[in-house]
Amino acid sequence: MKKVAIVGIGHGKFGIRSDACLRELVFEAVKACLEDAGIALKEVDSMVTGVAGDEFSFGIQPSAQVHDYIGFYPKPNFRVEGACATGSVALRTGWMNIVSGLADVVLVVGVEKMTEVPTSMATEIMGRAGDSIWEYPFGTTFPGYYAMIANAHMAEYGTTEEQLAMVAVKNHHYGCLNPYAQMQKEITLDKALTSFTVAHPLKLFDCSLITDGAAAVLLASEEKAMAISKKPVWVAGLGCATDAMRMGDRKSLTSLQASLEAARTAYKMAGVGPSDIDIATVHDCFTIAEIVAYEDLGFCEKGEGGKLIEAKETYAEGRIPVNVDGGLKSKGHPLGATGVSMAIEITKQLRGEAGPRQVKEPEIGLTHNVGGSGQVALIHIFRRE
Amino acid sequence: MSADPARWHSSTSSGGNRMEFKNFSLYINQTKVNRFAGELAAGKLMSTLCKKCGRQYYPPQADCPSCMGSEMEWKELKAEGKLVTFTRIYVPPEHFAVRQPLMPFSSVQFEPCPIGLIRVEKGLTIMGWIPKVDIKKIRIGMKMKASPFTLPDGKITIVLEPI
Repeated sequence: MKKVAIVGIGHGKFGIRSDACLRELVFEAVKACLEDAGIALKEVDSMVTGVAGDEFSFGIQPSAQVHDYIGFYPKPNFRVEGACATGSVALRTGWMNIVSGLADVVLVVGVEKMTEVPTSMATEIMGRAGDSIWEYPFGTTFPGYYAMIANAHMAEYGTTEEQLAMVAVKNHHYGCLNPYAQMQKEITLDKALTSFTVAHPLKLFDCSLITDGAAAVLLASEEKAMAISKKPVWVAGLGCATDAMRMGDRKSLTSLQASLEAARTAYKMAGVGPSDIDIATVHDCFTIAEIVAYEDLGFCEKGEGGKLIEAKETYAEGRIPVNVDGGLKSKGHPLGATGVSMAIEITKQLRGEAGPRQVKEPEIGLTHNVGGSGQVALIHIFRRE
Repeated sequence: MSADPARWHSSTSSGGNRMEFKNFSLYINQTKVNRFAGELAAGKLMSTLCKKCGRQYYPPQADCPSCMGSEMEWKELKAEGKLVTFTRIYVPPEHFAVRQPLMPFSSVQFEPCPIGLIRVEKGLTIMGWIPKVDIKKIRIGMKMKASPFTLPDGKITIVLEPI
């Protein structure tokens, strides 16, 4: 199979970006990405645009807004979607573009503009990413779904609210070291534990943020990658798996079957196992989701995720550093951009360019991105060499 | 029910009360299983059963992915089982928020009552509101039953109560 590498990265500022619309956010990320790669847009063959919600983009063709504004036409571009995993779907699609031989250099863009609508409306739009017929009539929201996972995990494994809060404390700590993060503020365990309840048992600081932002990566075939970049980061493994729409139809409420299956596929393709991973970005849309991800990815035994954060093993100095870019929790979670942003952090880390949050000489990195309440999961494994 | 799509309309409107499906689903009104809402209004929680392979569905489905059959029959569900998980959502979606005149089962408009999932026969699960149990007293594993409930505005939903 053809080898594919990331040869350029561009990360826009995440946050409440009331100064910019969707296409303008993309321009920032694409400009930075091309500068990083050191090539011009005319050298790019094809493009993939990840946007999760039509209701956020105010149009049914957000991809056109993007290729128009960056001046990419008449070359190919289309939009892909996978709820909160949209960015990873875009990256996977870009990889497929190159492996198929359709293109040699592909621009992968992820973007979401979420704060144009009021918070209550954003909550409603995201709540409908569950089953809009059979779950939504019970007032379900995104925090609500993960709250039900949290209660099940706490009942089965004794995971505590303190352990959940420890994930938030860690990710806020690293968010302070990431200039692109939305919330650059340290929090204490006490502050996290005493914040108001959003959906029992999840509190304000257990939840990720509503964010505007864009991120872009440039993918290239082996020959092009060697010509463009001194430090290409290779895509070594990909996994994608799905699960039932309704939470009640899932085999387990304390792990995500889609994550387990996607991890199995990605590890097999890359020829590595959980203990080979030097750094990971995982889908911490809620603190419980990070704990479940530790277990589903094999970083610890099932049910031991709470203890892993308690022992600080997922800090930069720990056994398996996780979300040292601040995670969705502190960096922000612009749905379509998140998966691309995760790949950017791993690229920076493998290049040794992560500054104050650099992990010691990582060689293999992993991204884990979940859509909806677990209906789809995508995992990518990257290597330095 | 019949496999012939042309006969769906007559077969669905013949069972239970005539009832708009969106009185249950809130958004969606057009489905092959709209009889579910009429039966719910008449006090019954209905599942569907595949005539070919016998697989049972709750929520009801008009089609069976197990055998790709579309000949289903309606069957009332024995709606008792154990609580699988629960939550209480304090920040509701726009649809349920303050501008709505009625917040189901709540004296305070901003605070909906808890919701939960129970596992009943054949491993099927039912989601419902839990209006009568304090969130602090809800325990996973507690025995509960699901029943239809008609709200003052005519909408219909499902409640879970301890047994």
